[in-house]
Amino acid sequence: MRRAQRLCAGRLPGGWMLLWCTLIAPVVQAHVASNGFLDLEAHGRTLAGSVELSVRDVELAIGVDAARDGRITWGELHAAAPRLVRYLADHFALAAGGAECPIRFGRLEVNSRVDGNYAWLPFEARCSHDPSPLGIRYHVLAGIDSSHRGLLRLGAGVIVQSAVLDPAVAEATLAPGHAAPWTAFAQYFQAGVRHIWSGIDHLLFLLSLLLPAVLSRRGARWEPVAAARPACLSILRVVTAFTLAHSITLSLAAFEVVRLPTRLTESVIAASIVVAALNNIFPLVTEARARIAFAFGLLHGFGFASVLTEMGLPEGARLLALLAFNCGIEAGQLAVVVAVMPLVYASRGLEAYRRALLPWGSGVIATVALGWLVQRAMG
Amino acid sequence: MVAASNVADTAPTANRPRVARGWLVAVAVAVMASSTAAPATPRVPERDDEVLATLPRGVGHSSIEMRAQAAARLDVAIPLAQFYISQSRASGDLRFLGYAQALLAPWRDRSPPIAAVLVLEATVLQSRHSFTAALGELDGALAAQPDDLQAWLTRATVLRVLGRYQEARGSCERLASADPLIAELCTQSVRALEGHLSSAYDAVRALPGAALSGAAGAWRCSELGDMAARMGDAAQAEPWYRAALDLAPDDAYTRAAYADLLLASNRAAETLRLLQGYGSMESLLLRIAIAQQTLGDLRGLAHSRELLASAFAVEEQRGEEVHRREQARFLLDVTHDADAALRVARENWRTQREPADALILVRAARAAGQPAAAAPAVEFVRLTGLEDRRLAVYLQMASYRRQASRPEER
Repeated sequence: MRRAQRLCAGRLPGGWMLLWCTLIAPVVQAHVASNGFLDLEAHGRTLAGSVELSVRDVELAIGVDAARDGRITWGELHAAAPRLVRYLADHFALAAGGAECPIRFGRLEVNSRVDGNYAWLPFEARCSHDPSPLGIRYHVLAGIDSSHRGLLRLGAGVIVQSAVLDPAVAEATLAPGHAAPWTAFAQYFQAGVRHIWSGIDHLLFLLSLLLPAVLSRRGARWEPVAAARPACLSILRVVTAFTLAHSITLSLAAFEVVRLPTRLTESVIAASIVVAALNNIFPLVTEARARIAFAFGLLHGFGFASVLTEMGLPEGARLLALLAFNCGIEAGQLAVVVAVMPLVYASRGLEAYRRALLPWGSGVIATVALGWLVQRAMG
Repeated sequence: MVAASNVADTAPTANRPRVARGWLVAVAVAVMASSTAAPATPRVPERDDEVLATLPRGVGHSSIEMRAQAAARLDVAIPLAQFYISQSRASGDLRFLGYAQALLAPWRDRSPPIAAVLVLEATVLQSRHSFTAALGELDGALAAQPDDLQAWLTRATVLRVLGRYQEARGSCERLASADPLIAELCTQSVRALEGHLSSAYDAVRALPGAALSGAAGAWRCSELGDMAARMGDAAQAEPWYRAALDLAPDDAYTRAAYADLLLASNRAAETLRLLQGYGSMESLLLRIAIAQQTLGDLRGLAHSRELLASAFAVEEQRGEEVHRREQARFLLDVTHDADAALRVARENWRTQREPADALILVRAARAAGQPAAAAPAVEFVRLTGLEDRRLAVYLQMASYRRQASRPEER
């Protein structure tokens, strides 16, 4: 043993050494107090979710160790599933508007967490009233383990609430999707920033339009603009047109005034990138790029809207959430522009920028976007 | 469907423009931050004989019957609660404390109060680091039974952890007539924190070890080890810690203290050997992680780190403060986040004031570049006269000397 540790300490590379170190690495599970995990997602009057209890707690609650050998096997746990469902029906309930929401449990599975294996049961609860507020009764292991807590996560749209349920307390009440206005704003703002940064198609479109903004077309060739002012104005025009356009359609779609099929908008978004990128290689529109930005920006807005619809807007704060999400998109987009454009401006005089980066970069963008177009159009 | 993708399903990385990499990192960090909390995906095991859990003793469903009897029979409730508390001490398993507390619940609010029940309840609360609540239970127990030795001893321990040394000594003295040896051990170990380290060490060493029972003998050795370590004498401390562990191998406190001594002397490999098989306790797993870091065992470290991070995250979510000191040290020494470490160390100082709590606060404050944040601990050391070489190393640094020397200037 001592030798093995010395070897680990020696930091000599080599596969067999790693093996040694792994062999002596303690295989342990940290001991945490007993927790049940409740995960709920509100969709209107339906709540979908899962409940998770550690296998050891399930044994304590209903007794599954049929062989009485101190070891719980999957066979034993699985055989006890109907009793576990009955136990949960007695010790866990959801209610809305004074009426209990009947819970239907799904198929038992196993989830591994750092402190061991958990019995995982999905469920669906259908409430007869709007579950706002939602009453949660949780009495698992009450009177048996006073430190047991139900760790609840309740999601509605991007608003996520959490609560610690004490089985000794009669009932907890939460209002799904309700959050302090500032919290709601912050969460939707972050969602907007995340969306613009992770869904790079919008950024690629914008970049394709901005790459030539530091140049001007003289006959059949690009030339660097002389001063910062025209370049800035050009960038400003493109960004403003894009922002204005997608804000209009995002709002229209979010309030369900206009609706377009997702497949269509996604395909056209991909096509817009192809067009914008090809325009840099074979310039047709050289001065009025802001118009392209506006025209296609309208379609990108529908793209943003489909994300927002998927997340859901919180009741009572729809406008605030829409505003926050849009601000997040603008902020994320602006951050990229501010970071990239000075570089682009600085390199505008380089032959390599005009001859290589602009055409070849645009070529790569067009190819990637063409791939998306085919993928999306084919569904 | 890139446009509709959320953070979790990011578009093909190869196609991303290089310039956006900074944000990609930011997004990736966000993804990782959100996914650490999320558990793995549920699965259906392929084989019926796959073992999902191995039960420790006394936690099967069959124990429910005996637990139910405990609600009607005090002579069942008390030994069973004691058994669970001892299981928790030996394994670091916090569930046992919950079992003990549930057994005691029906007996807690009896009139007249049952001292033994309140003392056990206080022991559970103390183990959960709810020191003020524990004191309340002990006061109740002592009101019902003023000569309850266990209550006085537990009270002395709790007060000592809270840094209320004078009151702690007062509790120790209440043991004098019934058990003078224990009373002396109790008193001297508090005096050792009040500026009399060297004389207290000699006094405890002079106590006849053979005359003390197993548990008390282990306590004596552990105290001597602690005192020697505070004097900065590792060579003397080590045999005391070893002797204490020989008498009480399950004493996680002593094992952690011994591990710290080894770590401080750059003996990481020996630390791992000492802690082998004890990784289920956060306090000891933390020392394992630090040793793995020193030895460059990155795989082992990653594993320990993940376990610790998730255990601390759950504790924080539950609003508990069992392992704040360990959490602060984890943040400082393992994840190297000095600001977070300082935040937790400050919270920890509000609930407990042992030398190790002062040490982590001073170290975190220094690492975070805010030495003034350690003022409460520095002031505490000045007021109590606490001697600890490990602490003094930091307090003698320029930034503290001014604060510490202020009283002499007056």
